[in-house]
Amino acid sequence: MSQVNMAVDFGGVKMKNPINTASGTFGQGWQFSELMDVSQLGAITTKGCAAEPWPGNPAPRMTEVRGGMMNSVGLQNPGVEAFARDYGPWLDELTGKGTQVICQVAGHSTEEYVRALEMFDELCPWAAGFEINVSCPNIAAGGAACGSTPDGAAEVMRACRKVTDRPLFVKMAPVRIPEISRALEAEGADGLTVINSIPGMAIDVHTRRSKLSKPTGGLSGPLCHPIAVRMVWEAANAVDIPVCGVGGVMTGEDAAEFILAGACCVSVGMASFVEPDASVRILRELEEWAESQGVRDINELIGAFEC
Amino acid sequence: MPNPSPARMHDFEVVTNEKIADGIFSLVILAPRLASALKPGQFVNVRVPGDASELLRIPLSYVAADPQAGTVEIWYAVVGNGTQRMSEWKPGFKSDLLGPGGHGWCVPEDASRVLVVGGGIGVPPVLCLARDLAAAGVAVDACVGAATADKLVGVEDFEALGCGTVRVATDDGSAGSCGFCTDPAAELLAAGGYDYVATCGPGVMMSKVAQAAADAGVYCEASLERMMSCGFGACSTCNVETTSGMQGACMCGPVFDASKVVVW
Repeated sequence: MSQVNMAVDFGGVKMKNPINTASGTFGQGWQFSELMDVSQLGAITTKGCAAEPWPGNPAPRMTEVRGGMMNSVGLQNPGVEAFARDYGPWLDELTGKGTQVICQVAGHSTEEYVRALEMFDELCPWAAGFEINVSCPNIAAGGAACGSTPDGAAEVMRACRKVTDRPLFVKMAPVRIPEISRALEAEGADGLTVINSIPGMAIDVHTRRSKLSKPTGGLSGPLCHPIAVRMVWEAANAVDIPVCGVGGVMTGEDAAEFILAGACCVSVGMASFVEPDASVRILRELEEWAESQGVRDINELIGAFEC
Repeated sequence: MPNPSPARMHDFEVVTNEKIADGIFSLVILAPRLASALKPGQFVNVRVPGDASELLRIPLSYVAADPQAGTVEIWYAVVGNGTQRMSEWKPGFKSDLLGPGGHGWCVPEDASRVLVVGGGIGVPPVLCLARDLAAAGVAVDACVGAATADKLVGVEDFEALGCGTVRVATDDGSAGSCGFCTDPAAELLAAGGYDYVATCGPGVMMSKVAQAAADAGVYCEASLERMMSCGFGACSTCNVETTSGMQGACMCGPVFDASKVVVW
């Protein structure tokens, strides 16, 4: 047992420790159930899901790049009804073991976000909160098209805020972080998830074709980490609501950087593909780091970065 | 809740790692629990350390598993930096893998005569199946293709089964007939008598085999390859477009009912 209190409050979601999982990298959790003890985590964030099923993009959806990967999944999902029916019982049981479940909400328009959130609110009573994805780089409408301006992000947040009293978070695009953070806080967001994957391109020069089925994809992995740390720091300086840091966390020290930059919790992403139980290792390493800092509570280290 | 992948983490040690054809290696690893768990057509997702900038595992089929010896044999083609590093592994080298992944071939129980068609590095999963079927007394014919004679693998292994015809084709005619192995496969299928076809190789090859099997009214399965991030159903990247929608190769495959594959 850690000597340091690791519990954090992420905008009303009481997490027993700061480790969360990045949406889209952890399925709905059950995929990891035979490979690790998921209930050791503070929270998991499920793969984005819309009101109706989406088929996602054609293959290829992934290409590896130096220090990371690019994806163009396009938010393939079964729709909230099937999500709640097929995965709800396992997720409900997980919350009973003290791991909070945050469900990511996908949409092509404000109306679709609202519809999906209404369904989540009704069908997923076990969910601790919801993360609105206004930053997916791989869909033609919605996603980053909604969340890359303060006005666009605010419009979605304003409409979603009316749907539920449960904690609402926003998965942010890696652009205009201070302005958009402030706009979201003003519309009642309970916290911010910073950042979604970064739009990138990878071209096969022999065939002259994209290495993905679309011209661009979302870049993630350790090569994004320094950018994500900077953006978490910008968000944390811009608003009073808590921030979840996401981007290339492979070790406890990577997670610690986010905490020092101002994040209250940290999501593990690509590392879970390489090493399914990476999130649990990262939690142990983060605890060791917190102990090494001589604090009694990890909350003392949030934003404790000094220049 | 759907069933999680059968894949588990296994540490392994390299027993042998030898070149068997131009650009193709045979790797034998010691991994006893894995050797007992694998079924033909399943895959393993191998961690290839040595370059911190290349993180994802490499998904590979296997060609033989020996539960008594606790060993698994994998044939792989050197196509990138990761497989290049693998080709330098010496006996005693240690790493880990996730496996067995997905589900393998589902041969009808009453099948008595089977055709397998393998192209290039697609040969191992069909050879693995052919060995099991031959041991069970099933007649197995094989069509094996490669770009050149130097890149051919598995021909002697199929012949050693002694339970059917082995037809070879190379793109340049340096071994067997000149052309693709889809031509002898179509001939054999047209002649009739098969209960089942298994194929693995380039997408265009498998689509032609699937068409020839459909024309002959024979049930055909194909083992597909996709870029894969996790290999256990969490990432949604290894999608195959089927008549039932998008399905992940790692969980719904890698072996698919060929008549249901829309995009090869």
